[in-house]
Amino acid sequence: MDKSLTQLPTPTFDDLAYRRASFGTLGEALDYAALGKKGMNFHDARADLVRAYPYAELAADARAQALRLIADGVQPGDRIALIAETGAGFAAAFFAAIYAGALPVPLPLPTSFGGREAYVDQIATQLRSCDPKLVLSPEGLFAMVQQSAEGLCAAHDWSVYFADRAPAAQLPQAQPTDIAYLQYSSGSTRFPHGVAVTHEALLANLAGHAHCMEAGDGDRVVSWLPWYHDMGLVGCMLAPLANQISVDYLATEDFARRPLSWLTLISRNPDATLSYSPTFGYDICARRISASINVAERFDLSRWRVAGNGADMIRPEVMQAFVDVFAAAGFKASAFLPSYGLAEATLAVTIMPLGEGIVSDLIDERTLSGGSSARPDPRRPTRYRAIVNCGKAVPGLTIEIRDEAGAVLPDRTIGRVYVRGLGVMAGYFRDPEATEAALSPDGWLDTGDMGYLSKGSIFIVGRAKDMIIINGKNHWPQDIEWAIEQLPGFKAGDIAAFAITTPSGEESPAVLVQCRTSDVDERNALREAIRNKVRAITGMTCVVELVPPRTLPKTSSGKLSRSKARSQYLSGEIQPFDVAA
Amino acid sequence: MTDRAQVYARIIELIEPLNPKKVALGENTSFAGDLEMDSLTVMDLVASMEDEWDIVMPLNMLPDLETIGQVADAVTKLVKK
Repeated sequence: MDKSLTQLPTPTFDDLAYRRASFGTLGEALDYAALGKKGMNFHDARADLVRAYPYAELAADARAQALRLIADGVQPGDRIALIAETGAGFAAAFFAAIYAGALPVPLPLPTSFGGREAYVDQIATQLRSCDPKLVLSPEGLFAMVQQSAEGLCAAHDWSVYFADRAPAAQLPQAQPTDIAYLQYSSGSTRFPHGVAVTHEALLANLAGHAHCMEAGDGDRVVSWLPWYHDMGLVGCMLAPLANQISVDYLATEDFARRPLSWLTLISRNPDATLSYSPTFGYDICARRISASINVAERFDLSRWRVAGNGADMIRPEVMQAFVDVFAAAGFKASAFLPSYGLAEATLAVTIMPLGEGIVSDLIDERTLSGGSSARPDPRRPTRYRAIVNCGKAVPGLTIEIRDEAGAVLPDRTIGRVYVRGLGVMAGYFRDPEATEAALSPDGWLDTGDMGYLSKGSIFIVGRAKDMIIINGKNHWPQDIEWAIEQLPGFKAGDIAAFAITTPSGEESPAVLVQCRTSDVDERNALREAIRNKVRAITGMTCVVELVPPRTLPKTSSGKLSRSKARSQYLSGEIQPFDVAA
Repeated sequence: MTDRAQVYARIIELIEPLNPKKVALGENTSFAGDLEMDSLTVMDLVASMEDEWDIVMPLNMLPDLETIGQVADAVTKLVKK
């Protein structure tokens, strides 16, 4: 049955007065959106409408389902883990938890062939961290999720679970300072950290970035971003809802199969579109266009008002390639809107002024590596790197750049990026140690990123906290190191993983492993075993280098220093063993 | 009528352009381990298989498919439905 013939998408305009996320709680935001005609629209891989889900229907479903949770003994503050499949099932369950005063915790979906054990294990690790009352999943993934939940919490297929009717009850009244949800996109797979965000912080951030984008009536959001990631959940589900904007969704796995369906949805919208993507999303669309596709006939991107960039390092040459391909379809380079943010600050920290597009600074790489050890070699040409201007702080947030001793640095000096204000997380869930490390008592968040300010605009040059981002997905060196420690004969401190930049500008993981054997064949075998182990556990193909014992640098407190290991490896100070090819 | 042998042979053809290192392909060749395919390349292959046989491979099926042989089995089953 072709449902697209029988139903219409939710409208872009209605009569409800626009309110810019000015609500006390997320539940109130949905109550208000439900008074209008707008809502979510789910599309299949070919961009055909499968289901229109007005906010009014979502609110009614969520209220009924909240009663079911309460009847099951769910108390305010309990966690409800949810597999974040893009669709009505997750949206309703998420807001059911909100209405019941519980904390929804979105968990990831599998993304590729194979890796069943790794997925089951990842979900189990996150369940142990958030300690939920129950975990709910779509039918298709239930067998795996049930396996993950064994011995940890109850698990249900959400359609079966919510089919049971529950008696009427009073829904609890949340306070703006209550924690609204937990977000797991920022922690590593092996050592997850749940970012706890209050209603107040969330809504302040949603109002802030709607203000920067001048979002409102007449806009439509188009998104394929996963709901288990902050940009997908906060930026493309909660933001449009709290700002009463209709959204067209394409599931992430459908985007991965047919990326051009994203652009088809944008082309089809007769009004203004707001749509975000990490760099790789623009990259795969541009690459997918072959000579046989008539871009001007097939797409119309002239009403794409905000083409947001974020979630990974913005690569100007990729954005230029996108413009080169899609200018024929009316795409305007000025629609690009660079931004910078992180889950620990709810989502957005800075956004570029509208209409300015991608503006970059050319910086000498040596200046970037900053300081004492970098000695200019006059025989070598200066290598410049383009750093993208990510814009100014969203209203309510203040930024400081500090040196290692904590002193505030002047303009155009690289240091660590600190953020304070509305939107900063309450802390990491049940992890006072990690919270204390990231958040000072007076409310300054150490983002772990490195950058500089110039006339109030931020330029991000890299990350101090060692995260590796590949195709928009965050990977953690701890996970790679942990994988190798599972091999006999290796211990923590023998291994340093970090990201290196390939000549094409992409990030790739590399790992240095201290190795005691001098036999070349043994070394070869060892290297192969390490590569296989890392791939089996993390799914990543990694550059593996064996180095002599006691070569990996330590910090002053005796911990392994990944950033020092990285710079010594790149400068040639650490010499890996030769391994026959 | 599509039988498994035909499906398998066609899958091998579809993988060829995604196999720049020319890894030898067989029933037990694994996508992650042997072919070192990242998730984007895998989804690209899934899309071309879906187009080839006019099928839909649901996301929850993917974690159980490690090798080319297992994918051939899964596609054959979907085609016969």
